[in-house]
Amino acid sequence: MDPVTTLPVLLGIAWLVPLASFTLILLFGPRMGKHGQGAGVLATAAIGTSAILSLIALFFVWVPAYDWAPEHHAAHAEHGAADHHDTGHGDAGHDDAHEKDAHGADEHKAEEHKTADEHHEWRKPYVAGEWYTLGQFGKLRIGISYYIDSLTVTMFAMITFIATMIHFYANGYMHDELHEITDHEVTLSNGHHLHRPGRFHRFFQYLSLFCFSMLGIVIAGNIAMVFVFWELVGICSYFLIGFYIERKSASNAANKAFIVNRVGDFGMIIGLMILIATLGTFSFGDIDTDGDGTVEPGIFSLVRTEANNHALVVPDGMVRAAAASEIAAGVEPSAEQIAKWRAETGPGGIGRTAYWLLIVAGLGIFCGCVGKSAQFPLHVWLPDAMEGPTPVSALVHSATMVAAGVYLVGRFYPVFTPETLLVIAIIGCITLFIAATIAIVAVDIKRVLAYSTVSQLGYMMLALGVGGWSAGMFHLITHAFFKSLLFMCSGSVIHAVHTNDMTKMGGLRHKMPFTAYTMLAGCLAIMGAGIPFMIGLSGYYSKDAILAQALSFKASNPQWGFLFYVAAAGAAITAFYMFRLWFMTFAGKPRDHHAYDHAHESPKIMYYPLIVLAVLAVVVAWPFWPVSIVALLEQARPEGFHETVNGVLVSNLTHPAEHISHEPNFHNQATWVATFVGLSGLGLAIVFYGLSLLNPAEVARQFKPVYTFLWNKWYFDELYDYLFVKPTLFVANRVAEFDKVVIDGIIDSLAMLTRMVARLDDLSDRYLVDGFVNGLAAWTYATGSKLRSAETGRIRQYVMFIVVGTVAMFVLISLYIS
Amino acid sequence: MNLLTDPVGITHYLIVGAILFVTGAVCMATKRNALGVLMGIELVLNGANVNFVAFGSEYLRPGVLGIGLDGQLIALFVIILAAAEAAVALAIVLNFYNNHSTVDVDRADELKG
Amino acid sequence: MEPINWHSVFFLVFALLACGFAVAVLLTSNIVRMAFYLVLSLAATSGLFFLAGADFVGAMQVMIYVGGTLVLLIFGVMLTAQGPFISMKTSAGEWTLGIMVGGLLLAVLLQAATSIDAWQPQAVIEGDARPTATRLGMGLLGARVDKLDEVDPTQRGGMSGYLLPFEIVSVHLLVVLVGSAYLARPKKRVQNSSWEGLK
Repeated sequence: MDPVTTLPVLLGIAWLVPLASFTLILLFGPRMGKHGQGAGVLATAAIGTSAILSLIALFFVWVPAYDWAPEHHAAHAEHGAADHHDTGHGDAGHDDAHEKDAHGADEHKAEEHKTADEHHEWRKPYVAGEWYTLGQFGKLRIGISYYIDSLTVTMFAMITFIATMIHFYANGYMHDELHEITDHEVTLSNGHHLHRPGRFHRFFQYLSLFCFSMLGIVIAGNIAMVFVFWELVGICSYFLIGFYIERKSASNAANKAFIVNRVGDFGMIIGLMILIATLGTFSFGDIDTDGDGTVEPGIFSLVRTEANNHALVVPDGMVRAAAASEIAAGVEPSAEQIAKWRAETGPGGIGRTAYWLLIVAGLGIFCGCVGKSAQFPLHVWLPDAMEGPTPVSALVHSATMVAAGVYLVGRFYPVFTPETLLVIAIIGCITLFIAATIAIVAVDIKRVLAYSTVSQLGYMMLALGVGGWSAGMFHLITHAFFKSLLFMCSGSVIHAVHTNDMTKMGGLRHKMPFTAYTMLAGCLAIMGAGIPFMIGLSGYYSKDAILAQALSFKASNPQWGFLFYVAAAGAAITAFYMFRLWFMTFAGKPRDHHAYDHAHESPKIMYYPLIVLAVLAVVVAWPFWPVSIVALLEQARPEGFHETVNGVLVSNLTHPAEHISHEPNFHNQATWVATFVGLSGLGLAIVFYGLSLLNPAEVARQFKPVYTFLWNKWYFDELYDYLFVKPTLFVANRVAEFDKVVIDGIIDSLAMLTRMVARLDDLSDRYLVDGFVNGLAAWTYATGSKLRSAETGRIRQYVMFIVVGTVAMFVLISLYIS
Repeated sequence: MNLLTDPVGITHYLIVGAILFVTGAVCMATKRNALGVLMGIELVLNGANVNFVAFGSEYLRPGVLGIGLDGQLIALFVIILAAAEAAVALAIVLNFYNNHSTVDVDRADELKG
Repeated sequence: MEPINWHSVFFLVFALLACGFAVAVLLTSNIVRMAFYLVLSLAATSGLFFLAGADFVGAMQVMIYVGGTLVLLIFGVMLTAQGPFISMKTSAGEWTLGIMVGGLLLAVLLQAATSIDAWQPQAVIEGDARPTATRLGMGLLGARVDKLDEVDPTQRGGMSGYLLPFEIVSVHLLVVLVGSAYLARPKKRVQNSSWEGLK
């Protein structure tokens, strides 16, 4: 089968099926079967279809087409297949032109063969193209495009497979939502618990959208699309973390996850804008976007030009942007001029500015990844995200949300300069240590796993940062299997005992053996258990690879050696807290007999996926399969990272090529170290929790300050509250006061002025117009008041008046007449 | 002038009428009892009647055709009206007495300004 | 010595009685006595009417005034004559004021009464007294028999009878009769009983 035509169809359908499921559930969800039960079936079927399509794409299209080189040394052997890498859907002319191009490369490579420097020759196989063009603005083109390399295919298979398992599991876990629910954690103002209808269909609706978004990130062929699906993942996680929206803690956690991610995404937008503005393209791969028969270089080709043996070069666009003040309007600088500018790498030189642009772009993108993958300092949202239902946690922590960050670092790897990578390594190192230490003291079973996830993500970032691209990606894949397994096991436990608190568990392995022993497999896998140099669980291989790469990096850069030690210490801590969790939950005596008596094994639909995942967590990384993950990932290794690269701005910074770490001196040492630290962590856990030889409470008392520090999660929440939330509120309050005092004051005084004018008008009305009328009335009234005293109401007085009047009349008349 | 030998004229009647009138008026002005006031009215009317009769008398002014019978007729009307007025006034007084339990006209000052 | 003019003597007697009892009415504060003095005063006045030749008017004075109106008044006196109301004193200030004003009025009236020469005493016509009842009755019916021999036609024309006022006065008396009966009836008791009857 021709992968160029087949892969986009297969993966495109696999990508869109969850969207269809989402749409159908959105429209008809409540009417699907009894209480929307059909929604679960539909979503599971949809993601199952995606999984089948993805696996077909992996095993029956990709593997046969790009024949396979277990070690990267041999990757060049099948260069013929690699020629397909940049063919769009295409017209014959384009293919012809490209064919010529490829042959040219072949000849070049043949010569290089003789120089025995094979790495330059190898060309990464990928399929890039565009399904649909949304718009074209000058040279800038936005469309729904794809970029498929072996990483994409592997991620597709992993994501869809794990998501399918989680869907099955969720069908059992969420059965409560099928009928009316009384939420005992929500107390209404009237004192009753919240009573609400079940939201089974809505849960699966979000799950489908989540899968669709995550697959969209993976398959996206341009950064605009990546950003759109990136945000879709964010909003899906918001919906799902806040699934029990009536609980205050759940809505807070959802808000926190969303807001913290916005911080990271702000940096990401900056990075993406730098890339767009300077490179003038959204696309990753080389696609014939305008259909004129020539292939427009994508971002990766611009950063690592073929002409320069894929070494990192500051792209022309960035140089032009840095030299914007030197360039007259409308004048296109010549290639020589650009090369001259690029060479000015001294302080203040244009080349250095351009290089800084590249660093900032890389750091910006990494910022987004820090947010999504919960790296220090934005890791605070992930433990709180445990408020969501457990299948969501499993999905978020393994295949989707947090994987997206690591995946994106892997995807943008060609853009990162050594300096950027160093930052990534340091951040990953800090994260893995902080999270691991917090996990030691946590008692909420899901929070332990959450910090474990943060810590493992730190491992991945560290691996990527020290140059171990395939080690990091490898760990991403293996971690997805055992972390989803661990979360689903913990969900099974929670389902059985109805509490997250490990101090109320214990001895549960008798009640729920499937859960207990699958979880044991998961713990062993994450610890990296294995028989050295023979065989091990999946974590054994990926963690060894990371440690070996860190060791290799330490050898090249002794001043950054602490990265290795922290990673090794982290491995010991990992083993310790994972077995602490397992022992506290499943071993020993029951601590809460009420919970223990009601505990029961989960239904089959829940523990069958556990068994499947447990088996995979054990075997998935074995190198002796016909298709090994490491070899598969090696095919997707970004061009330019097959060899050692040196930093420009930071002196003595060297990223050793990853194959160096496979050499026995590093690899053996790393394996021994990993085995030793894993066993020591396990031993400690056995001493404390398995055999109870030492009382952990006494140790906690002994190291009270440390324990409190860890118990309060290094005071990050308080620190952020003090650093950001409080100042924000302070500023907001000041602004509000300004609003109230100044703005409102102006408006109020305007209003006052109007009122004064109106009052003047009123006064004239009242005193001039009314005054005249009222004055008349008042005068009449006053006269009447004065006259009223004459009206005494006394008859006798009236008689007197009459008499007097008569007399007076007589007198007057007599006077008048005479 | 000898009252016993001289004939009387209109003037004498007028003087009597004036005295009766003034007495009645002063009676109206000074009596607090509503019935006393009524009696004053009767006196005043009586004084007026004396005048009417005097002016209409053909004995007092021989040869001069005064108002003649008209005076007596009007006096009759006055007597009749006085009777009617007395009946109405008495009814008013009784009503006043029922409402105020008194016949003191000074208490009837509801019309005071 | 001129012969005693008995007309004048009787006039004097009656005038003194009328005026004296009128003043007595004024001066007494006892309501019962006032009524009594008033009867005497009015009776004396009727004597004056006889002396003036108005025999019918004098008779009516006695019958209606003394016999009717005053009986009515005395009924009123008896109905309201309870302790505190029998004698109600008037303040000295009011007396002074009333007498001053009254004196003033009296002075004016006396001055007017005595200032006209035509009203001065003249020789009384000797002869048969002519009863006035018939003439008055005719006058009330509209026929002025006393003016048949009037020479001046203007005076004859203007002196028609009193039929219309007579009718008016009779209706007026009827209305007064009904009205006073209505006013004097005990209202509240009637209303209450009618209310109870309705209930």
